[in-house]
Amino acid sequence: MEAYLLNLGVLVSIYAILAVTLNFIMGYAGIFSLAHAVFFGVGAYVGAQMAMHVSASLFVTIPAAMVVAALLSLALALPALRVRGEYFVAASLGLQMLAITVFSEWKGATGGIGGLVGIPAVRMFGEDIYRPAAFFPLAAAVAVLVLIVTRLLVHSSFGRSLTAIRDSESAAESFGKNIALIKTISVVVSAALAAVAGVLYANYLSFINVESFTLNTSVLVMAMVIIGGTGTALGPVVGAALLLILPGLLSYLWFLPQTEIGAIQQIIYGLGMAVLMIFRPGGLVGRSAGARKRRKRDALKAAAGQSEARKMEGAK
Amino acid sequence: MLWLQLTLTGLQTGALYALTAVGFSLIFGATRVFHFAHGAAFVLAAYVFYWADTAGLGMIPGIVLAALAAMAFGVAMDRLVYAPIQRHEGSFFTVFVASFGIGIVVENVVGMVFGRSFVTIDSTLSQSRELMEGVYVAPLAWIAIACAAVFFAALQLFLRRTHTGMALRALADSPELIRVFGLDPRRLSSIAFALGSALVVPGAVMTALGSGLNPALGHHVMLISLAATIVGGIGSIGGALVAGFVLGLAENLALIAFPSQWSEAVTFAILFLVIILRPAGLFGRATAH
Amino acid sequence: MRARVWAATAAVCMLAGGAFGKDVEIGAVFPMSGTNAIYGDVFKSGADLAAEHINADHMLKEPLKILYEDSQALPQPAVVAMTKLVEVKQVPYVLSAFTGVSKAISTLAQRSQTVAVNGGGVGPDLAKLGDYFWNVIPLANLEVRAMVPYLAKHGMKKVALVYVDDPLGQSILDELNANLPKVDGKLVAELSVPTSTQNFSGIAAKVRASGADAVYIASYGAQQIQIAKQLRDNGVKAQLASYSGFSTPDALKLPQAEGLLYTTQAVNYKAGDKVTQRFLADYQKAHDGKKPSAYIVNYYNAVLLFGILAQKLEEAGKPITGANLLAERKATKSFDLVGGTVSFQDNGTLLAPIQVNKIVDGAGQPQETVDIN
Repeated sequence: MEAYLLNLGVLVSIYAILAVTLNFIMGYAGIFSLAHAVFFGVGAYVGAQMAMHVSASLFVTIPAAMVVAALLSLALALPALRVRGEYFVAASLGLQMLAITVFSEWKGATGGIGGLVGIPAVRMFGEDIYRPAAFFPLAAAVAVLVLIVTRLLVHSSFGRSLTAIRDSESAAESFGKNIALIKTISVVVSAALAAVAGVLYANYLSFINVESFTLNTSVLVMAMVIIGGTGTALGPVVGAALLLILPGLLSYLWFLPQTEIGAIQQIIYGLGMAVLMIFRPGGLVGRSAGARKRRKRDALKAAAGQSEARKMEGAK
Repeated sequence: MLWLQLTLTGLQTGALYALTAVGFSLIFGATRVFHFAHGAAFVLAAYVFYWADTAGLGMIPGIVLAALAAMAFGVAMDRLVYAPIQRHEGSFFTVFVASFGIGIVVENVVGMVFGRSFVTIDSTLSQSRELMEGVYVAPLAWIAIACAAVFFAALQLFLRRTHTGMALRALADSPELIRVFGLDPRRLSSIAFALGSALVVPGAVMTALGSGLNPALGHHVMLISLAATIVGGIGSIGGALVAGFVLGLAENLALIAFPSQWSEAVTFAILFLVIILRPAGLFGRATAH
Repeated sequence: MRARVWAATAAVCMLAGGAFGKDVEIGAVFPMSGTNAIYGDVFKSGADLAAEHINADHMLKEPLKILYEDSQALPQPAVVAMTKLVEVKQVPYVLSAFTGVSKAISTLAQRSQTVAVNGGGVGPDLAKLGDYFWNVIPLANLEVRAMVPYLAKHGMKKVALVYVDDPLGQSILDELNANLPKVDGKLVAELSVPTSTQNFSGIAAKVRASGADAVYIASYGAQQIQIAKQLRDNGVKAQLASYSGFSTPDALKLPQAEGLLYTTQAVNYKAGDKVTQRFLADYQKAHDGKKPSAYIVNYYNAVLLFGILAQKLEEAGKPITGANLLAERKATKSFDLVGGTVSFQDNGTLLAPIQVNKIVDGAGQPQETVDIN
């Protein structure tokens, strides 16, 4: 039992890192990416290859994974600078689908659908760390570290620039902010930190393949952020925990027919997503109803200001 | 001869993509709802048609039932899911997540009812005849292309010649204007969903007769529709039609130059490039910003 | 909020606690949802029948129970399911299926000293997954080695391959490349498709253009049926051929698959031994006289194998753990299973003869049996 909870704890920690890093660009920079799983995957593959061929030390695997993911994230930063809204979502979707093909076809690096088998465990203090009891503290510590780093960034002047851009690009520009640079940095930071989750994942499961990094994963992480509360500090963590614990609980319902449990889990997961969005669109850790109304009013005002600004731009 | 064969197959594939994409584009253009569950409407229509066929109801009643199911699903989504979300602060992405969730529900419910494996309707329509040396075309290909042309023409007539149609076209740009003219945006939105969802039926029926069905089909249909809508240019229904054909052709013609496993990636490479190089799409009227 | 979290945690504990019974439990990681769920149903019917027989005979002191977990035939969900089985339920023995799934869970099996037994996946790599990974099914390299000479003997030397791009498909490609030259044959086209592809009209055009005498299909479940149907629909007239993955009920029923050749392990139902006769009789009684497929035999055998080993351990007063099961298997020369007396190779894989079948009127008809060493 303990092992089960610890195992769940590891997965929650890993997905929390993903949700927190996605929230960083979604909640604060207004970049809604459907390609977050790509960087999770890149981190996992790079981490696994380094562990198998160079060293299984986290001090080797994590920096390598972060650098590669950061470089590749420029492919996402490019459309982020050119387009917004649904166009950017579509661009990130295109990137995600391309990445799936690359992950499945570049067999030398990724092992194809067959994946990479036998990834060595993390070695620390002369011990192999893979049992849930040993791995959980490690994963949780890394998750907390990532959370702290993103918090610090959000509350720095960089973070304030980000939110300024999210709320009104033209206003931020008029304050002399370098929008292209700030947006690019935020995407790079988010991708590099997401890669850390990939490294942990590869070490823990000792097996990775493309199926862990598909569009479904990207949507799952996005759902964690939105269900938890976009732009809140702890929302993504709550979202991650909730979406990972619920399906596990279901499989203990003895009265469900075993052959249908998979489908029923999926149905409840899907329904849960829809129902939460209908009744708590601001997320679980969102503001109270009154605050939400206030915020909505502010948002409306901001939007009105923005469209004014847009009209002026158009008139130029 | 291979290229001619692949062009014809590409046109057949493209015709199926095109109508489904036009449906998505119509909904998205008019209501700005990212209706990810459009693929679910496709699966629903296809399985209703399949059910009608196994129940011996015949082709035409099957098509009618499929259309009713798709339209009912679309309208229900609009009324029960999207409208409440939009009444709150409901951003674009809240809608997306809800829609994706429903897509998962439909896929699994269909799987539980009809089984999760492959089903197909045996029909001579899907069996190819030799057109000339080495070139085979199934009757279904001609039907698909004809369907695309007829439905698209009918839709254009509706959008340009009727009051409701014109109001639909104006809906996305200025809901206020619609209200000023005494029309109900909610009702128009439901009409957009009903029409857009009905447009999945030809593709769904022909997939049931041709390549066959499984409950997970909706995902692919949805991604293609989305790609075609963006490549064609948001708000341009004609653009979605052309883009649907382009993607179908590209997927098949890619087989000449690339190993077969890359053909699906071609679609998304086109999507990504179009967004970066020509964000407004091939036929877009508005810019992306 | 916090109170709710604790309530949920408590619920997890109670439910899990309740699940620990006195039964002897083994696990199974089968596809129960997704496009390959049809296999899960087939595998399960074999495993359940064996458990029924073991319990009816009171082979073990406590009743045997199989805990099924859904893998969706995909590696990632399978690893999650396997973690639950070995860490929470702590079962000593897990039934596995599918090449990708089996490879993915093998590290967990080895680490936790849990025996994993595969009766469905046929990728040749499965023979190399360590001491704790056993196969009760002959692997695909043997199947291709039986099919290629059969095709050549009937004048089909130009072969096109349509394969799913995964470890199984890859291994079939390698085996065809290795074996066709031996019979003067040639692989004239190799067309790989991603696991999610549904439309094969373009692929059919390329197959026709290759001028192949035979088309070898290497995929699974829904996809392989779609490939067969669409090849025929799009004017491919060449002989179709496939491996044991094609022996599912809905694939055999497909009108377009009529005449298709496929290999399976040969099960000698005419063997007069009691185990085979009882299996056949009870299976047919429960399924309207239908003949069981090789998969059903394999998973019946996998569970029966556990029954035999666990019974011996109980008699010797040893606990039923993965390590003890492994030691006991190595100490036993041969086992009486369905299809006769069999023995394991050193790498934990069962040897069995292969037969070539042809689909006639929607059912497999054995054509010839090949002994392969």
